Amino acid sequence: MVIAKRSVSLSKTFLIVGIFLGLLSVLISSLSDLIKYIGTTATPANAAGTGGFDLAAALPLVSVALQVFAAITFATPVLLLYVYDKNNGVLEYFLSLGMNQGDIYRQYLKAALMLSSSLVGLEVVANVVAGLMVGKTGLLILEVSGLVVALALPVVSFSTLIMMSFSSLQKQRVGANQPLGMAIGIFIVMPAYIVPFVVPSLAIAIDLLLAAVVAALSLLMYLSASRLISREKLLP
Amino acid sequence: MHTLELVNVSSGYGGTPVLHDISFKAQESAIYVVLGPNGAGKTTLFRTIAGILNPYSGKVLFDGENLAQSKDARKRINYLSHYNALPEEMTVRNALGFYARIEGGDAREVISLLNLEDLEDKKVSDLSQGQKKRVSIAKVFLRERDLYLLDEPTSNLDPAVSKEIRDILLRLSKDKIVLYSSHNLYEARDVGTNLILVRDGEIGYFGEISDIKSKEYRVGIRTTTDISKMIDAKLGEGGYYVVSFTEPEEAGLALKKLVENGVLVTEMRQLDNPLQELFEANHKQSPAAKTEGGEKRN
Repeated sequence: MVIAKRSVSLSKTFLIVGIFLGLLSVLISSLSDLIKYIGTTATPANAAGTGGFDLAAALPLVSVALQVFAAITFATPVLLLYVYDKNNGVLEYFLSLGMNQGDIYRQYLKAALMLSSSLVGLEVVANVVAGLMVGKTGLLILEVSGLVVALALPVVSFSTLIMMSFSSLQKQRVGANQPLGMAIGIFIVMPAYIVPFVVPSLAIAIDLLLAAVVAALSLLMYLSASRLISREKLLP
Repeated sequence: MHTLELVNVSSGYGGTPVLHDISFKAQESAIYVVLGPNGAGKTTLFRTIAGILNPYSGKVLFDGENLAQSKDARKRINYLSHYNALPEEMTVRNALGFYARIEGGDAREVISLLNLEDLEDKKVSDLSQGQKKRVSIAKVFLRERDLYLLDEPTSNLDPAVSKEIRDILLRLSKDKIVLYSSHNLYEARDVGTNLILVRDGEIGYFGEISDIKSKEYRVGIRTTTDISKMIDAKLGEGGYYVVSFTEPEEAGLALKKLVENGVLVTEMRQLDNPLQELFEANHKQSPAAKTEGGEKRN
């Protein structure tokens, strides 16, 4: 909790951008109903069976990936804090108190999950409210909200762990390895952007599979943190 | 009574040893001053004892417990790095409270101990380097431990605060082991009873400071009269009459002679620091220390 609070006080920009992206994603999801409405009253250029993408069906699922991206952005201050604490000797002090790399990673990971969960919670509420307003079916609202929760938390865990690892491994105090970790975190959800257009019928299953794979990777990284990253890499 | 023992310890960074096969046994509660030129391995020594670095070989025993294997033993150690390790976005009170929640102790007590009341509502980032150092030291005293590892605790501190810290350490050293590194050799002599001299990652000297003898024992005497005709003294540095002796006992005899002649002696002090000689002698012998990879860390 303290680390989450410290992260918030360290940088508010990422939080604002995260909230903006999250709400924008929910709006994009709701646009599908607008497209559907236009499709029934005008030329069905985007309608299924015309040879184009079924944009109306794909957008809610694409918005899932965007909402996950917003969650990663929202949790980024934890990473900034991690780098800051490493350079400032706080991690060294934690080590001197008898903590190991895994204990330290767990604290920052918990903070990242805590922050991202609060945004995911907000996104779920926004999905429900916006869905009801534009007349989405209950099932679709449940699918989108469920997928956001299922995908966001493993992806945030993975990108946080990978960013901490990269930042621990970089030699320069002001190096830019941890943004690479963020890019990998974002890259790993790429299938969630593409699949709704290519194989819409499998999109939900693929998203869930992706969530399971990323969760397994995160767990593996977390459990092997003490072996992968030596203690000296946490020193200033 | 506690015992800190290093047995053939080699340790370093990235597989490159900085400490080479170090052994010593500190078995009395006292302040052990750790001296050595930059890059000699002092910080690596502290980090290895604190359990931050795992030794490549050998073992660090505290009261017989291997520190690398015992989390409980490591909880009996307090380590002060020369990085302040403070959450700078917090106020002093909250920063100390943050550590108190992690390791126990009472933030209010250490605020009072180090007279930080006037700073407690200020953000750490707004403090001067010396004030940050005081707060950093305060966190070390949150809980009483049996072994204190203090890496340059009085750097950036003004003389009055340095003295406060030394007084606290002197009180602690009655029943604790304190390892204390400093580049101030006069402070080191004042505060320490034992010396650990680190040179090129090896122990250059381990023993009592009182056992270190100067080649020459120079004493400065301040008097109200000219004493150059009574003893072999020359008016020299700082307005002192400077006298050279071969043994400290001779200084006592000279003082006795002056007093018998009715001279009012207002001050008498040793001008040279035996630690200075020892340090310089070892510094000259260790050119490798200047180029060692651990330079930034020491």
